[in-house]
Amino acid sequence: MKKSIQETSKSGGLAWFFQRLSAIILFVIVIGHFILYHFIFQGDIQKSDVLKFTQYSWFSLIQFVFLLTALYHGLNGTWGVIEDYVHHRIWRLILFSLVITAGTGLLFVGTLTIIRVSSIA
Amino acid sequence: MYKKTKFYDLNYYKFLGTWAWILHRLSGLALIFYLSLHIWVINTLTLSGSQFNQTMEFLRGDIFKILEVGLWGVILFHAFNGIRVVIVDFFSGSLYHKKLFWVMILIAFLLWMAGGYIIISHM
Repeated sequence: MKKSIQETSKSGGLAWFFQRLSAIILFVIVIGHFILYHFIFQGDIQKSDVLKFTQYSWFSLIQFVFLLTALYHGLNGTWGVIEDYVHHRIWRLILFSLVITAGTGLLFVGTLTIIRVSSIA
Repeated sequence: MYKKTKFYDLNYYKFLGTWAWILHRLSGLALIFYLSLHIWVINTLTLSGSQFNQTMEFLRGDIFKILEVGLWGVILFHAFNGIRVVIVDFFSGSLYHKKLFWVMILIAFLLWMAGGYIIISHM
C-alpha cells in the first residue's frame, strides 16, 4: 500500500528536524569532548584523570546525551544515505534492521560503560 | 516518477555545493564507523582496571597521533559544514551558501591547525 504524501513528508520532516537539532547539540559536545580529552589532558590521559570527572552525575548525564545524540545523528544519517541508493524493499528492510540493531547494541554497551565508570569513583 | 540512482552514478556536473554534500556524507560515514569502534574499545577498556592505562600507553604512539590529527580534521569539516547546512535550511542561507562554505572552511582550518599543533607537540 502506498503511503500518502502527507504521511511520508511528516515522518521525513521530523527526521530532518531532529537531524539538525542533534547536530547543534553534538557541535557543542563533540568540540568540548575533544578539548577535554585531547587538548587539556595533552595525550597523557590516565584512568585516574577520567575518574575525576565521572564521579559527577552531571558529567555522566552529558556523556549519555552525547551517546544518544551521536548514535541518533550518525545512524539516521547512514539511513539517509542508504535510502538514496537502495530501492529494493527487501534490501531496505535488511539494512534498516541492521541499523536499528547496531544502534540498540551500541546504546546498550555505551550506557553500560557510562554507568560502570561513574560507579567506580 | 524518479530516476533510480546507482551509487557509482556520479556523472552529473558538480558545483561547490555538490562537493560539500559529497564530502559531508563521506566524513559522516567515516565518523559513524569511528564512533562504533570508539564505543566498543572504551567499553572493553573499562572492564579491567590496569588495561586502560596499558592500552592508552599503546595509543600514545606517533602513528595514532597522526590519526588523531586526521580525526580532528574530519570532525571539524563535518561540524562546520553541518552548521552551514543548518544556516542554509533555517536562515535563507541558500542565497550566500558558497561564501558561507569558505568562511566555515577557514574557521575549521584554523581550528584544525591549532588543535593539530597541540597534538603533534606532545608526540
